[in-house]
Amino acid sequence: MKKNLRILIIPYLFLIPYLFAFIAFRFGPSIAGFFVSLTRWNIVGTPKFIGFSNYIELFNDPSFITSLINTLYFMALTVPALIVLGLLIALLVDQNLKGRTVTRTFVFMPYVIMSTVVGVIWMWIFDTHFGILNYYLSFLGIKPIAWLSSVNWAMPAVAITTIWWTVGFNMILFLAGLQDIPEELKEAARIDGASNWQIFWNVIFPLLRPTTVVVLMLTLINSFEVFDQVYVMTGGGPSMATLTVIQYMYFQAFQYFRLGYGSAVAYVVFAFLIILVLVERQLLKKVGES
Amino acid sequence: MKLKIGVLTLLSLLTIGMVVMAAQPIQLTFWGGWTGPDGDVMRGLVDEYNSTHPDVHITFTTMQWTPLFTKFMTSAAVGNPPDILGMHGPDIPQFAALNLLTPLGNVISNAGFTATQFATTAWNGTFYNGIQYAFPLDLHMNAIYYNKALFEKAGITPPTGWISGQQFLDMAIKLTLDKNGKNPNDPGFDPNDIVQYGFGLYSLNWHAFLQWYELLAQQGYGFLNQQNTKVDYPSDAGLKAWQWLQDLVFKYHVSPVGATNPLNDFLIGKTAMLEDGPWEIPACQAQKGLEWGTFPVPQVFGQKAVWGSGHVLTIPVQNDKAKMQAAEDFVIWLIKNSSKWALSGNIPAFNTAREYAYSLPGRTGFLEGAPYEVMLSRIPNEAEVFSAASVSPIVVAGQDIMVRDQSILPVMKWMNNQIDQILSRGQ
Repeated sequence: MKKNLRILIIPYLFLIPYLFAFIAFRFGPSIAGFFVSLTRWNIVGTPKFIGFSNYIELFNDPSFITSLINTLYFMALTVPALIVLGLLIALLVDQNLKGRTVTRTFVFMPYVIMSTVVGVIWMWIFDTHFGILNYYLSFLGIKPIAWLSSVNWAMPAVAITTIWWTVGFNMILFLAGLQDIPEELKEAARIDGASNWQIFWNVIFPLLRPTTVVVLMLTLINSFEVFDQVYVMTGGGPSMATLTVIQYMYFQAFQYFRLGYGSAVAYVVFAFLIILVLVERQLLKKVGES
Repeated sequence: MKLKIGVLTLLSLLTIGMVVMAAQPIQLTFWGGWTGPDGDVMRGLVDEYNSTHPDVHITFTTMQWTPLFTKFMTSAAVGNPPDILGMHGPDIPQFAALNLLTPLGNVISNAGFTATQFATTAWNGTFYNGIQYAFPLDLHMNAIYYNKALFEKAGITPPTGWISGQQFLDMAIKLTLDKNGKNPNDPGFDPNDIVQYGFGLYSLNWHAFLQWYELLAQQGYGFLNQQNTKVDYPSDAGLKAWQWLQDLVFKYHVSPVGATNPLNDFLIGKTAMLEDGPWEIPACQAQKGLEWGTFPVPQVFGQKAVWGSGHVLTIPVQNDKAKMQAAEDFVIWLIKNSSKWALSGNIPAFNTAREYAYSLPGRTGFLEGAPYEVMLSRIPNEAEVFSAASVSPIVVAGQDIMVRDQSILPVMKWMNNQIDQILSRGQ
């Protein structure tokens, strides 16, 4: 009995260091953040309880609504492209072709660059008047595009940067998934006379579905939390065209010292992410059933 | 016997400990937002103080102003602020209103400093509600940087003092060239294929508002009312100021639309002039092959005025009197030895220190502009009203007018309403 108890307790003792850090730096602040979101507080002094006023103000705040719409727009621009391109590149570099290792390295390489560096590099590339992209486009007779200073182009420009920067990560995940698919299954399909497309659609894609769901969820969450590249490249402008939710939270909490309001934004973001996770669970369940 | 030995040992250890403690220098922390070459200059001054004052050791920390202030607020909230904190004059009210700064009027007068020994704007910028909270360190304001080679090529003699708006515009037109070498006034000029712009200005960040603010001041108006509770300026004056800036971009084509990096455009010779502050001096000096100078911003309206600010040194509230005294001694020394601070590009506020700036190249525009500097209004919620964040009404208004070419009056009205709302909410 004593031995059993020890066996039962020991694993939890090993967990204590992590649990301590988790409670002190994650769980605790998250709970405290909710109470802060019910107050008016500027870091210094005593928080003043104001109930759900911050949440009511938030949903009547045009800038917050703009930031939410912008974030969804950014997700619409990046998520499908990152999934499709990631998969296509993974399929390409999974083939037994010459130079596939070099290609894998080149595609993945941007992902290891710091986000700020990526932002600065692309700011130069996108410069309206003296940038290299507009220079090349001029050979096609295209007039200079105000990539980062136009309301219409700023978000697509940030999306292009993000795709270039992170597609390598998705490629690696897909590649790992592809390499888990037994070669015999593809071989058997080929012997049965299946075309490449049929092999992909009926053999590879169904077996790749768990990987696809994971990649999709990671990409959705990362896109929803976009901050760095926007902060560096456009700062959220012009005219709030690239202002995202996380950036709005940062401004409110750490520039305007409206901790309560900023925490309310954080909790709305949290609610959105919970919805995404629930959707993910449903998808995974379906995948399991199939 | 054993007891005696024990007591003696304990006493000896205590004495040694006290002697060692007494010999240790007082440790001070000094935070400032000088993250460029200016930070190196300040670090040099701190090192000089440390080497000549063995009883004190100052640790100097720099980071960008916005995170620095967040760090200050959190450290002050837990009773562990830095011993010395640099900031701008207009930043004082937001921290003074929260009782985070020590009033320094007596310290400053006991050190023998008087208002007449400092640039007036810098001295006035250290007060909030009649109480002096800081030592004035410097002034920094807008001026026009110019590229000597491009001026020479266009046959223009660079101004040395204030010029009118029209004179400035004429120069900017001459310095703007399309791919066929035509100026905006020439027939056949192609505004879609400009290879060199006359003038670079900031239209994507809050500097658009600051340029407008100085043009409003050139007409004799401020942005807020006397009580700083509401936006208050004649819309006609506001309209004229924005119109001047908007026309430079969309009517005269002498400034690029929405330039993302006006400084770099100037450094590589794509623009011939740039309106910016003295913090860009080190970048100009570092640019190989660039011959440059400065002159004051153009006087477009009735009176001379230029937007500017000034760094100040504050001593956050704390309980350790010895540390506060040591911090005061350091700041007094720094002000008296601030001539070297001119190497950072900033113009020292202390008159005798400022003399040194006259001997340095490229300071003409700033020194000529200094007497006419206007700072932003001094309000406790300055961080939100005069915010550089993309969500800030002053930034959005600047972008709407200067980048999107929107109709000025509705944008101005929207900006005023937004600012009034922020002001009514308080800190």
